[in-house]
Amino acid sequence: MNSYLSTVFSKVGSLLATLLVISLIIFSLVELMPGDVAQMILGQSATEESLRELRQARGLNDPFFTRYGRWITGVLRGDLGDSIYMQGVPISSILWRKVGHSLFLALTAFIIFVPVSIVLGVIAGVKEKKAADSIISFTGLATMALPEFVSGVILISIFAVRLKWLPIVSVIPIGQTLFQNLDILILPALSITFVMFGYVSRMQRSSMIIVMNSDYIKAARLKGLPERYIIFRHALRNALLPTITIIGMNMGWLFGGLIVVETLFGFPGMGSLLMTAIKTRDVPLIEACVLLITVIFALSTMTTDLLYGYLNPRIRFKGGQR
Amino acid sequence: MKRICIVLSILIALSGTLLFAAGETEQTTGSSVIIRVADNMPGLITPGQWNGQAFSLNSSVYDYPVVLDPDTGELKGEVLSSWESEDGLRWILTIRQDIVFHDGSTLDADDLIFTLERTQDSTVSHVKQKDFEIIESVNKIDAYTVEVVLKEVRPGFIYQLSDYNMAVLSRDYDYSALGETSPMGSGPFTVQELVNKEYAHLVAFDEYWEKGFPLSDEVHIYFVSDRDTALSMLINGQVDIVPFITPIMKQRVDSHEDIYVTVPYTEQRFLSMRVDAPPFNDNTVRLALKHSLSPTLLARGLNLELGSQFYYSEGPVMETQSQFVQTGPRKRDPQKARDLLKQAGYPEGLTVTLTYAGDHAFNQAIAQSIQEQAKEGGFTILLKGYPRDIYFSQYWMQVPLSITTWGGRVDPAVLLSLAFDSRGVWNESHVKDPVLDEIISSILTEVEAGKLDMLYRELQEYFYDVGPLINIQVPYLVALTSSISGYTQPLTMLPVYKYIEKLN
Repeated sequence: MNSYLSTVFSKVGSLLATLLVISLIIFSLVELMPGDVAQMILGQSATEESLRELRQARGLNDPFFTRYGRWITGVLRGDLGDSIYMQGVPISSILWRKVGHSLFLALTAFIIFVPVSIVLGVIAGVKEKKAADSIISFTGLATMALPEFVSGVILISIFAVRLKWLPIVSVIPIGQTLFQNLDILILPALSITFVMFGYVSRMQRSSMIIVMNSDYIKAARLKGLPERYIIFRHALRNALLPTITIIGMNMGWLFGGLIVVETLFGFPGMGSLLMTAIKTRDVPLIEACVLLITVIFALSTMTTDLLYGYLNPRIRFKGGQR
Repeated sequence: MKRICIVLSILIALSGTLLFAAGETEQTTGSSVIIRVADNMPGLITPGQWNGQAFSLNSSVYDYPVVLDPDTGELKGEVLSSWESEDGLRWILTIRQDIVFHDGSTLDADDLIFTLERTQDSTVSHVKQKDFEIIESVNKIDAYTVEVVLKEVRPGFIYQLSDYNMAVLSRDYDYSALGETSPMGSGPFTVQELVNKEYAHLVAFDEYWEKGFPLSDEVHIYFVSDRDTALSMLINGQVDIVPFITPIMKQRVDSHEDIYVTVPYTEQRFLSMRVDAPPFNDNTVRLALKHSLSPTLLARGLNLELGSQFYYSEGPVMETQSQFVQTGPRKRDPQKARDLLKQAGYPEGLTVTLTYAGDHAFNQAIAQSIQEQAKEGGFTILLKGYPRDIYFSQYWMQVPLSITTWGGRVDPAVLLSLAFDSRGVWNESHVKDPVLDEIISSILTEVEAGKLDMLYRELQEYFYDVGPLINIQVPYLVALTSSISGYTQPLTMLPVYKYIEKLN
């Protein structure tokens, strides 16, 4: 267990170092964005004098590392700064509400695509080279190849425009909560499911095929155990490990990928907030959103690594330790 | 397997927790009459600092000294009950005595003085600072009367008080700290809740001075950055009003019987030629470009009809304004254009770059139409479209040929002094002609109506002959559900929600 703990500490250290480097990259890239923040704020009617004063007041004329240092020390203290367009409003007060919405959307998609993909992946693996396998594999490939904005438009056309079962736009009516409007989650979550289903079901199928052809499964069959018992008690537990890795690795991608889905459906999450921030050159807000996505990505990757170790005895009991 | 089950159970429990965490407690609305609007995503919204994206919010929360009557096109008092000036230099402004702010304080002369003096406060960076530099002094005569003395005669000064950045603010409220999160004015609606970058929930102000108004109980404003998404909300019945749509978007709703589109006013797009450098310093080249273009073709290129929603002139006055004088139309004649170019020393034609803000409605289509038409006249026009901040910070006023969005001014004289006077801060064509300066100066100071009409005629004839401008006027389109009646939005761009009725 000591070895496992030292692995955990090592991974956390590596995560912090990665985040520090990435924060510098994010800050540099945002700096390179074309456009003038002061001009964006004051608009067409700004005079050179007012632009100069605003740049001075916001510290936009300070050297790069001064501004980076100011930003990163603020982030470490939990202060993400103020939005350019909302003087006196901490970014965190806007961000967490949106992050809550996005997390909820991501988890709704997660709840749909994980069981569906695993079950269908298992069926495809067990029924290798049969009709069920072909149909599931083809569907997985097709949905994986479709970008979210294409599958989203198809879903809107069918379920919102033609059948009128679900709303076209996933906004939360003013005065109500997301909890009161769960139907707005269905189409965005299905769009995400379409993409994720391909990855997960194909991985589940492959690992299931490998496990089902392994010696210990053959031995179980020779012992005369029922096929269902072999699949669920012997094969699935091992075949799930690579799938969990893929799911974990994709959680970070899923969160970043919400930008497209949220923009398409007008969902009030972090993705649409980031898009708005980019459009309006709201630099502190862009930096906060991108950094948060990076943190989620890095955390999900690290968690997956640790979970893999937790679930896989060959890694957990390295060198015969318990 | 047991461990896998544990992990999956934790994830499901976590999602369940978030389900409830995301459910903020907010009050649901009963049977109130609610106007629902999908407006643009605002930038700064504090009056004096906002950049024109928060019209629905600000026109509902604040009152303005004077407003433009959309029916008559004349000014009418809102905060001001009357105004007078005998010489255009000394103005007496009288305030209504029954106005209170949303915090319960009375609106009086000190608040109007605060509002006017705030334009010159260097800590505010007021966008109207230049416009109000002309004020020499602001004096309180009594609790509801203010005297404004100008440095120069300005018969049209009162029009400047209808600007969307000139809402009357409370002297006791800290707008620098609270203006962006808790806007507070004396308008027909108060802010119940403002979630930045998402929505504003406004409710009728019980103590509003105009008795019987507003006609609705609440206004719900959704801030939607994508206009197509906003239109989808309208089609889906999630909102009642979507301002600022394009003709292409209009086609999406044309087949919906319960949706109609209205044009409350027109905006301007200035095709501006820089006259202090080749090639447009030569009027022959300017005329060649003017002869290359057809207003009818331009209108058709935008899916619009010339003379109803689309206007075209070669002067700075909008066709819908009383000061407009018909000086054209100039007949499109590509052969003449080529001859003129030859005469100007470009026998093989002229290549020039047209720069514009591509994310402003209509600009891209206008640029493409100009490019196509001017080709026959011997012009090879290269198009460079940029996001508006890049356009304004890096290209505007620097390039030889540009398209710029100009909001209409209630008093055209304000625009003349800014954009065509030698000393104008936004003189994008760099015109420096003493003759034009003299005309503009006379317009700014002329009190007599007859003489003013003559001056405006002289101005527009000047532009027709040697001007650096083609003024393309395009509609501001607003889509509404048929349950909404009484939507008005005058040239000041401020929609008036207090008079809107919603039929259920």
